[in-house]
Amino acid sequence: MTNAPSLDIEHQLQACRSKEETFKTLVVLSKTLPRLSDDEKIEDNKVKGCESAVWLIIEDINDVRHIRADSDAKLMRGVLVALLSLVADKSFADIQQMDLKRELAELNLSSYLTSSRTNGVLAILAQIQRP
Amino acid sequence: MAFDPSLLRPLFPILSQPAYEHPLTYLDNAATTQKPLAVLDAIQNYYRTGNANVHRGAHFLSDRATNQFEHARHTLAHFLQAPEQSHIIWTKGATEAINMVAYGLEHVLAKGDEILITSLEHHANLVPWQQLAFRTGARLRVLPLTSSGEWEAEFAHYFSDRTRIFAATQISNAIGTTTPMQTMLDLAKQQGAFTLVDGAQAVAHYPVNVSELDCDFYVFSGHKMYGPTGIGVLYGKQHALEVLIPYQTGGEMVRHVSHQATEFNVLPYRLEAGTPNIEGVIGLAAACDFLSAQDRSALLAWEQSLAHHVYTRLHKEGGIELHSPENSTTLVSLSVPNVHLLDLNAYLDSQGVAVRAGSHCAHPLMAQLGVSGTLRASFACYNTLKEADRFCDVLIDAIDLLNDE
Ligand SMILES: Cc1ncc(COP(=O)(O)O)c(C=O)c1O
Repeated sequence: MTNAPSLDIEHQLQACRSKEETFKTLVVLSKTLPRLSDDEKIEDNKVKGCESAVWLIIEDINDVRHIRADSDAKLMRGVLVALLSLVADKSFADIQQMDLKRELAELNLSSYLTSSRTNGVLAILAQIQRP
Repeated sequence: MAFDPSLLRPLFPILSQPAYEHPLTYLDNAATTQKPLAVLDAIQNYYRTGNANVHRGAHFLSDRATNQFEHARHTLAHFLQAPEQSHIIWTKGATEAINMVAYGLEHVLAKGDEILITSLEHHANLVPWQQLAFRTGARLRVLPLTSSGEWEAEFAHYFSDRTRIFAATQISNAIGTTTPMQTMLDLAKQQGAFTLVDGAQAVAHYPVNVSELDCDFYVFSGHKMYGPTGIGVLYGKQHALEVLIPYQTGGEMVRHVSHQATEFNVLPYRLEAGTPNIEGVIGLAAACDFLSAQDRSALLAWEQSLAHHVYTRLHKEGGIELHSPENSTTLVSLSVPNVHLLDLNAYLDSQGVAVRAGSHCAHPLMAQLGVSGTLRASFACYNTLKEADRFCDVLIDAIDLLNDE
């Protein structure tokens, strides 16, 4: 998972008081995302509907959903760090119950949740919450 | 500089609001321009004092609406230097106008005929022709223009005696290239082709004279020239418009209908089925009046100086790939190696700077440039030098913040 503990990530994002601060925090967070290898960044792992390329690998092992993700855009990698910290060490059943849209909005990330083509975060959420 | 854009700012109240905690810097004018008060007022006044359906009722309000509506056609004919106001057809925008022509000319094409476009086209002036080619067995050919709008002499053979339709943009929306329109039109006309000029990116900047251009069709959208959305124009020469089969039929466009047959109305009504976008027409005429009241050459010189200023600053900066030609009059399109366009866009947005990042509805052109997209700052008459500099400053900050690999 990520180097920074989840709570810390959430606090950092919640503390942002402007779009600019959120931007800068996401840039810092983006650096903590373990990158996928080129073999993993294949078409099959690509999330459809994102303007920036996003790859997701989901594995359910021993009742825990392990999710790894990557993007070619830095801010999206920052958003992925936040998202993965929200669902870390949880089972699929737990994740399915979560209101991830609201939780991301509480982290000042609501502008990444629009249904416009630029942000495919909704497509990512749908995939994470699908069996 | 004689021209002072600050005099225009009060006419565009939308520009004086903050974006987040920053002054709004609107540089996405190639997508759509803001609307002056005169346009907003014209639409309001229409609904407050003149709303009725046109060409139908015989009463006080319908006469007023019809007069205003047809006067707008006169305004547009004058704006484009068209000989007759019946040569102005109202459409939803450039896209609908091109589709009207692409469907309307289907019957003149035979298998093996050629439709010629350029490599700089917006999808709106590409997909309708490609689909028309699929339907008729015609061949879509693409005149390869460089990003500075040049081509080699040998490319004249793209214009052949099979060329039935030639359609090209005056200015590239993605990179700002001005195409060699008059030369291309001459070559197309020598082959007897129908000619269509996509003026979507030109009308806000250049005075248009369709009689001088001598094209068969000229299309544009109102919303890119200070007018409302949902309204645009198809100008056509009399014989060219008469060749078009109406692609929509219904009320308004008919003279007599029985269950056995329909006699179509005369131009322009023949091509305007249904109740038109009356408020849009009135708003567009107000936008033309707004532009015509300005010193057009001073506006153009100002817009050119902004684009040139940004181009020169960013060129000096280094590390930025400029995709626009140096003489782009309307916009600057760029990319930064190793920095994602959406990241740049997000930082500019966080500072209140509105630009466009993406492929600008021109996938084949992006492929030609070898990029997935560009970041585009596009200018309008109300933009200030301070805004142009702010774009450069914020862009340079963004690159510093993002480029650590
Ligand atoms: C050159 C060009 N042609 C056509 C269009 C299509 O215009 P509209 O979407 O208003 O129909 C655009 C819009 O971006 C354009 O820039």
